[in-house]
Amino acid sequence: MNTNLKISNVTKIYPGCIANDNVSLEFNSGKIYALLGENGAGKSTLVKILSGVIIPDEGKIYLNENNLKLNSPLDAKKNDIGMVFQHFNLFETLSVFENLIIDSDEHRESLREKIDTIMKKYNFSIDLNIPVLNLSAGQKQKVEIIRCLIRSPKVLIMDEPTSVLTEQETSELFLSLKKFSEEGILIIYITHKLKEVMQLCDEVAVMRRGKLVSVSEIKNENIESLANKMVGQNLKTIKKKKAKTSSDQLIKIANLNFTSEDPFETNLIDINFSVNRGECLGIAGISGNGQSELFQVLSGEIISEKNSIEFNNNYIGDLNPQERREYLMAFSPEDRLEQAAIPQMKIFENVALNNFKSSNFFNNGLINENKIKEHSKKIISDFNVNTDNIELKSQFLSGGNLQKLIIGRELITSPDLLICFNPTWGLDVGAINYIHETLIKINEQNKSIILISTDTDELLKLSDKISVIHKGKLSKIMNAEEVTSEKLGILMGGAN
Amino acid sequence: MIKIVKRDQPSRAIFFFTPVLAIFLTLVAGGLIFFILGFKPFEALKFFFIVPIADKYGFSELLLKATPLCLIAIGLSFCFKSNNWNIGAEGQLTFGAIVSGGVALLFYEQEGFYILPIVILAGAIGGMLYASIPAILKTYFNTNEILVSLMLVYVSKLILDYLVVGPWSNPEGFNFPETRQFSDSAKLPLLFEGLRIHAGIFLALAAVVISWFVFYKTYLGFQMKVSGFSLKTAKYAGYKGKKMIILVFLISGACAGLAGVGEITGPIGQLHREISPDYGFTAIIVAFLGRLHPVGIIFASLVVAITYLGAETAQIFMQIPKYTGQVFQGMILFFLLASDYLLFFKIKFIGSKK
Repeated sequence: MNTNLKISNVTKIYPGCIANDNVSLEFNSGKIYALLGENGAGKSTLVKILSGVIIPDEGKIYLNENNLKLNSPLDAKKNDIGMVFQHFNLFETLSVFENLIIDSDEHRESLREKIDTIMKKYNFSIDLNIPVLNLSAGQKQKVEIIRCLIRSPKVLIMDEPTSVLTEQETSELFLSLKKFSEEGILIIYITHKLKEVMQLCDEVAVMRRGKLVSVSEIKNENIESLANKMVGQNLKTIKKKKAKTSSDQLIKIANLNFTSEDPFETNLIDINFSVNRGECLGIAGISGNGQSELFQVLSGEIISEKNSIEFNNNYIGDLNPQERREYLMAFSPEDRLEQAAIPQMKIFENVALNNFKSSNFFNNGLINENKIKEHSKKIISDFNVNTDNIELKSQFLSGGNLQKLIIGRELITSPDLLICFNPTWGLDVGAINYIHETLIKINEQNKSIILISTDTDELLKLSDKISVIHKGKLSKIMNAEEVTSEKLGILMGGAN
Repeated sequence: MIKIVKRDQPSRAIFFFTPVLAIFLTLVAGGLIFFILGFKPFEALKFFFIVPIADKYGFSELLLKATPLCLIAIGLSFCFKSNNWNIGAEGQLTFGAIVSGGVALLFYEQEGFYILPIVILAGAIGGMLYASIPAILKTYFNTNEILVSLMLVYVSKLILDYLVVGPWSNPEGFNFPETRQFSDSAKLPLLFEGLRIHAGIFLALAAVVISWFVFYKTYLGFQMKVSGFSLKTAKYAGYKGKKMIILVFLISGACAGLAGVGEITGPIGQLHREISPDYGFTAIIVAFLGRLHPVGIIFASLVVAITYLGAETAQIFMQIPKYTGQVFQGMILFFLLASDYLLFFKIKFIGSKK
């Protein structure tokens, strides 16, 4: 049975931005389609329209020639459109089985049979009776997929499914998707990862700034051509020069442990490493393996034993972030909007969050607004933040500009060490390039970086040494030249 | 056709205009209610809003009612600006009054210049102690401060009830639920002969100035603001976020406690059952009507104070229950919240095109 899904002249306008500008696309079953685009290109909006989460301002959707009215996710389900979101919609404390049957009104026993058949057919092995919180990210995703398959969908939409998966889990997923496709399910695969598109898909539609820019067959494309279509310009590739090897140790972490009271946090177990001057240490890992805790321990948001961190010949494990800044450390956390900056406050107020003593932002307990503003202007011009109004609330900056502001704020004090956590997460390619260049420049000035990132390509590009964190433990530290992304993938999955 | 469009940036002019709009809409709706009840709307509104403050005595009464409202609202603005929802100012007022009243009773029949400052201080400390309960429970045990602070209001009122009926009741008071009269040294001086306005108003004005300074000019105020928006950011910046939460609760409790002191050591001069006509709750409206800004709060406290007085005149001259005052207070808040919609959205009138 053939499935034909047609999107016809769909437009969705948000205040100040056209998320989808007259998009028309046609899909047929038997093929795997990629929907490719940068963050903010409009692909999420489009799939949310397909899954009934968002109602378009204009345009129609046809499934096998029938005009669909998708006013809610339920309508999409009824019309055999299944969707697996990037962020899982599972109840962590309920069992796998309970999660699977929660939105179905079929009889429990018949559902159990159905689920067993699906699991056997696709070789999924998940214990149905354990709570979801005990599953790995890959297994959780399988639960989401099974939940769609129960309804025997005609269309299955996957939204950036590999962002939380290991290399191995990714290839398993691809195998399953190919199988689904052979069985006649129409698959739409949303991503910004070019490699995956080349590996998995048959056809690719590229979106940029709300518009559909091209539809083509994969065999006529290569990674460079797709990248250029996605970004709309020819990208220069940045490369890091091999750093002069220095043996001058800047920071040393010795036997550091952290045990959390929060069951959703990861404990850190016996962390040991050191970073020399001018060096970038990359820490890879799948998110949720202790990166956030490691960042907080390094930044001083979590205090540890005094002797566990030695920086520039001082023991600083028991100091808070502000005190550590005085020793010339700087921090750029992962969460731009909830931690590194306060969106409701003005740009210059956000600059004042880095209260480095000799910046003189606060004198005798009073705010020195002129000084802060002067500083802010310098950051804006030195780090290419695209605004000239420091009184602007920072929520009106784009992600890239906000990240530049944050990195600028941290670097303006010329720290010896910058610790950053997913610094380019969710940014467009232009901003990513800028941040990468900036980080390379820091190393060239003989200053050091600890880069915690879930983006393997970024790590391989910027690091001199790489380690992998898995379940709160660090792997041995390797030279970046000896490492491949396959090797990292294996370590990220927990193997040795 | 009318279309609602999101604003790119909240409008600053609208920010100050909406409170005025809210008051205007309250007057219109109030007039309408009077009309439905069979009164002449304009006359009724005049009795409500103009007659009560037309003379010197009325004006003094206005300031008398506005003083606690202003004082409490200033304290609350510290909490609300930093996203701490202390709605138990009434309880902090009551407990402040209990502690300061207790101290005043200790000095029964004693005179001395030192007594009044001690009594005032005791009230502030009482309010702080009482506010520290929701603050500590929130910071160390993750409880919800809205529930805790609200429930503690009723606890404090019952404590007061017990004290004025039981151990602290006036031995020569024929079993009336009230304490002895405080000595003159424990009372806030009246400002004018024959009027009830007392020195408590200076406490309120001082609170206005200090809060403005702290919030807009000091590092401490900056840290409070940051901690209020995001504890994670505060931690990352190296601030002691939890201490900031406790601090804003203490400030707010102290202000409410001082308002309590004003109520019992002013014209009344004793503890009794009904020391506050829900000033602690009404001050929440005042704080928001004044846009959490010290100067705005002054104006808002005057406006809301009129509803107290108006309700009394309306009861006397028009036989309307005095609870109409609360209806007006409710309407102000309602219309304020409703017109705040205009902060983020604007209404566009589109011509007959389609």
